[in-house]
Amino acid sequence: MIEIKNLKANVNTDEGPKEILKGLSVSIKPGEVHAIMGPNGSGKSTLSYVLAGREDYEVTDGSVTMDGANMLELEPEERAAAGMFLAFQYPVEIPGVNMSMFLKTSINAIRKQRGEPEMDALSLLKLLKTKCKQLGISDEMMKRAVNVGFSGGEKKRNEVLQMALLEPKFCVLDETDSGLDIDALKIVADGVNALRDPNRSFLIITHYQRLLDYIKPDVVHVLADGRIIKTGGPELALELEKHGYGDIIDAVA
Amino acid sequence: MRTDPVPLDGLNLPTPKQEEWKYTNLARALAPELLNQKPLVREEIFIHKSRGQIGGEVEDILCEGAQGQHQQPRLKIVIEDGAEATVIERHTGSGAYWTNMTTEITVGANAKLHHIRIMEDSAQAVHTNMARVTIGRDAVYDCFSLNLGGALTRHQIHAVLQGPNITCSLNGLNLLAGGQHCDTTILMEHEAPHCVSNQFYRSLLDDTARGVFQGKVHVHRPAQKTDAYQLSNAILLSPGAEMDTKPELEIYADDVKCSHGATTGPLDEGPLFYLRSRGLSAAEARMLLIQAFVDEAIEKIPEEAARDEARGKALAWLTTRLK
Ligand SMILES: Nc1ncnc2c1ncn2[C@@H]1O[C@H](COP(=O)(O)OP(=O)(O)OP(=O)(O)O)[C@@H](O)[C@H]1O
Ligand SMILES: [Mg+2]
Repeated sequence: MIEIKNLKANVNTDEGPKEILKGLSVSIKPGEVHAIMGPNGSGKSTLSYVLAGREDYEVTDGSVTMDGANMLELEPEERAAAGMFLAFQYPVEIPGVNMSMFLKTSINAIRKQRGEPEMDALSLLKLLKTKCKQLGISDEMMKRAVNVGFSGGEKKRNEVLQMALLEPKFCVLDETDSGLDIDALKIVADGVNALRDPNRSFLIITHYQRLLDYIKPDVVHVLADGRIIKTGGPELALELEKHGYGDIIDAVA
Repeated sequence: MRTDPVPLDGLNLPTPKQEEWKYTNLARALAPELLNQKPLVREEIFIHKSRGQIGGEVEDILCEGAQGQHQQPRLKIVIEDGAEATVIERHTGSGAYWTNMTTEITVGANAKLHHIRIMEDSAQAVHTNMARVTIGRDAVYDCFSLNLGGALTRHQIHAVLQGPNITCSLNGLNLLAGGQHCDTTILMEHEAPHCVSNQFYRSLLDDTARGVFQGKVHVHRPAQKTDAYQLSNAILLSPGAEMDTKPELEIYADDVKCSHGATTGPLDEGPLFYLRSRGLSAAEARMLLIQAFVDEAIEKIPEEAARDEARGKALAWLTTRLK
């Protein structure tokens, strides 16, 4: 169970702290998929970064717990070990670090934190091969530096690959569908659906109904100006697709 | 060969008032007392490959400095037309000394020289090094400097690309800490068309270390189709560290491709956070990123054994610095 309660957070800017999240609450039960939609600049990525523990954001109020454990007091890597995963809206390039080395380091870093033994090279290779195949990722890509020179679609697939390898409990996907053509979208959506599990929760940030046609959400939230202003079922996304955010934002104002 | 001590004030040392020495104050770094104690040592090293000679042993040369010494080694390398060689030049020493070295390199037509410099002078040493390289048509010259030692070091390279179709690469890795000062000053002179030159330098600066990179590419009028590239990347590991970069292009030909760039700053937060969000501790993430940064420079060393050696030395430096 993921519980975000009355979360308030600032981003540190050159002109001082600026409040972006203004009291945001969402609860996600195990096995549920929640979608968050909202206009540009409403705070969706900020929420994802705050959940993952990026340092330039400061939480001023509220709480985030995963199965009762306070996430906000954990370092980003401890959150990862606890089972939190963020698929970045803009995956970061890491020159000089090749993909397979990165994935291996990541898997073993999490195992180490959990007190589990390192995965041996052979099992790792097999695991990588299977997951890459499922996501249509070539062997050649494994030899390249992480995200360097990857196309938009390759970057997003790479995020889903990492998610599949790390088998998190709570997956936050920040616009993983943006910039994907329809075939890539299907592959990514299939990858996510393959991970759906009664013990795993998803928070999917998106602008498009298109993704939600493939990944059926249980709950849809509308985020505007740092707050959830409306929550509903899958039909809410369809309504947004037709009428935009204007009506809902006006109704709340 | 030994001669009488040379008094410092008779040396006519450069000062920071001269543009080329703007960031490096040699006179201030030289302790006068140590230079006058012992006679000047002049040593000559000569490496010669005759026409068409290839496949010989790696030439491995060592220069050692000793407390109180003022030495002026002279290295001369002549690679005749069509010959190939690899030269590894090492500098070590103990105590305070001044090595003031001149290097003269001639690479003949269609010849090839890999030049690797492993600079591990003592922590009190001053090392000034002036290399002049003349390169003939269709030849390849590459030089990699791994700079780890010395209180103050200055590597000046003046490469003259005299014939067409030359590839000249000057690369380096500077790993500096404490109050070390390391200056790389390059003049790449393209005199002939269709040549490629690369400069790729990376620096890691800790404590109050200071790096200087001044690289100038001079493309003469006949040097059409020149492809010249220059890059300096420095990571500051501590707020007291400093890097001065001065890239310069002087171009008189109109059909050339020249680019230069420089970055200086602390380790990027973006990749650090990305790695941490994938389970790596802050220390592990830093180490991985810095190792990758260093490795991209070391990859430029064309000889496997030297590359492994440099990688080992860099790793040892990193493990003592980044705990
Ligand atoms: N480092 C920063 N400095 C200043 N403002 C910032 C910073 N980071 C975010 N913001 C501001 O915070 C607000 C929320 O940004 P955020 O990236 O969370 O929006 P978003 O909902 O993800 O938008 P999009 O749909 O475009 O991805 C925006 O107004 C943005 O300009
Ligand atoms: Mg966003």
